[in-house]
Amino acid sequence: MSSFANSPSKGARGNSIAVKGIRNGLLFSIADDVSFADAFAELTEKLQGEKRPGEKDSPAVAVYLDFGDRELSEEDDSAVRELFAGNEDFTLESMEGAPQVRDLRHKDPYVLKSTVRSGQVIEHDGDIVVIGDVNPGAQLIATGDVYIMGYLRGSAHAGASGDHRAIVAATYFDPIQVRIAGVIRRAPERRVQAAEMEFAYLDGEHMAIEKMEALGQYRARGRTSRVVV
Amino acid sequence: MGEAIVVTSGKGGVGKTTSSANIGTALALLGKKVCLMDTDIGLRNLDVVMGLENRIIFDIVDVATGGCRLEQALIKDKRFDHLFLLPAAQTKDKLALSVDAARAIVGKLKSQFDYVIIDCPAGIEHGFRVAITGADQAIVVTTPEQAAVRDADRVIGLLEAEHMPSPKLIINRIKAHMVRNGDMLDIDDIIGILSLDLLGVVPDDEHVIKAANQGEPTVLRPDSRASIAYRNIARRILGDPVPLMTLQEEQSGFLSRMKKMIGLR
Repeated sequence: MSSFANSPSKGARGNSIAVKGIRNGLLFSIADDVSFADAFAELTEKLQGEKRPGEKDSPAVAVYLDFGDRELSEEDDSAVRELFAGNEDFTLESMEGAPQVRDLRHKDPYVLKSTVRSGQVIEHDGDIVVIGDVNPGAQLIATGDVYIMGYLRGSAHAGASGDHRAIVAATYFDPIQVRIAGVIRRAPERRVQAAEMEFAYLDGEHMAIEKMEALGQYRARGRTSRVVV
Repeated sequence: MGEAIVVTSGKGGVGKTTSSANIGTALALLGKKVCLMDTDIGLRNLDVVMGLENRIIFDIVDVATGGCRLEQALIKDKRFDHLFLLPAAQTKDKLALSVDAARAIVGKLKSQFDYVIIDCPAGIEHGFRVAITGADQAIVVTTPEQAAVRDADRVIGLLEAEHMPSPKLIINRIKAHMVRNGDMLDIDDIIGILSLDLLGVVPDDEHVIKAANQGEPTVLRPDSRASIAYRNIARRILGDPVPLMTLQEEQSGFLSRMKKMIGLR
């Protein structure tokens, strides 16, 4: 894989595709300033040129294509798909660039079995699970969801890299501040009793809070809407 | 080999020095050989509370920098032969006491005393690092106020990061009537947040201020409630399972109610 990414490309049109190894495959970024025909020719060359002798049994490499600002015509689109259909070493995973956070299902959650105290910051690329309390002045920052089995009295930020589908859930929900993606909500000025088993999510532009029973419904709603889009 | 216990809180003014003085004196009352060590360089107070200010010749920075021997800086208490104070420096810069030097001093003291009680400065910077180095255990002092509890929580996190065995909690200056009216955090609220073992609850008591001004630790006055609380804390440190004083007892008795009615309280 690495020899592929680093090998000097043959042919005159060598620079229209940049290849980068990413966590679950290869990302091909196609330059905006070359014609589709040239880019397609180079893509064909790269895929054909990389027959891997002696590695016939290894699984196919997932490829993510990033066409940048380019709009593909229907013919171009199907040409690309056919190119991959005829190739055993590579599978076309996406034509919309690198995988988004939520698609990385295998990202390990970070499980913390202790109290998170004032001044402590837990950051994780993925979900954060705290089995214990999150005290005032403590901060959790996750690119995925935040789940707290205990008191949330501090601050939690879910979907920190922009995932609007992320949630913050806690057994006792009494946060100083909750953020999901770019939306911030702070605690009411008048202290109220901590709510039991609730989660915060984004309803469009606004943050909403719902009883934990509704989480399944929310997730189901999310799945259908994603299929439609 | 003795045990070094640091008394810390994060926030200033919650009673670290008073607690250090009283716990140390109470342990001495129970027959232990105790050294009180003040690490609040530049703002020393422990000597004043103990009434030993006028006996200081050398201080902890002199010991650390080789200006004198440890024995020369130790001040023997007026009341007990086996209670000593290692005073902080008043005029030097707080960076004059390094973490390594402090650890070496605590190590030496532990070999000579049953208990070394380290009075920590407020804050979480250099002075805090100096105070907790070499300590085997920590006592966190807080008062029933949000800000004090917040700072205590921060300090507990830092102690845990230093692999200090679970610190013990003292809740200082609790006012029973305010707790009852819901105007003050109660003990359960505080333990709920800090999740620590409770070493003791010290009721708010004017005797403490009076005693500190006279350079007499409160524990020497058996009639004060704070005194009893500190004595109980010292016994718990020695492993004696003393039950907590109930805060309500001052109102519940028939006699005290009578006294209240006729204006004695």
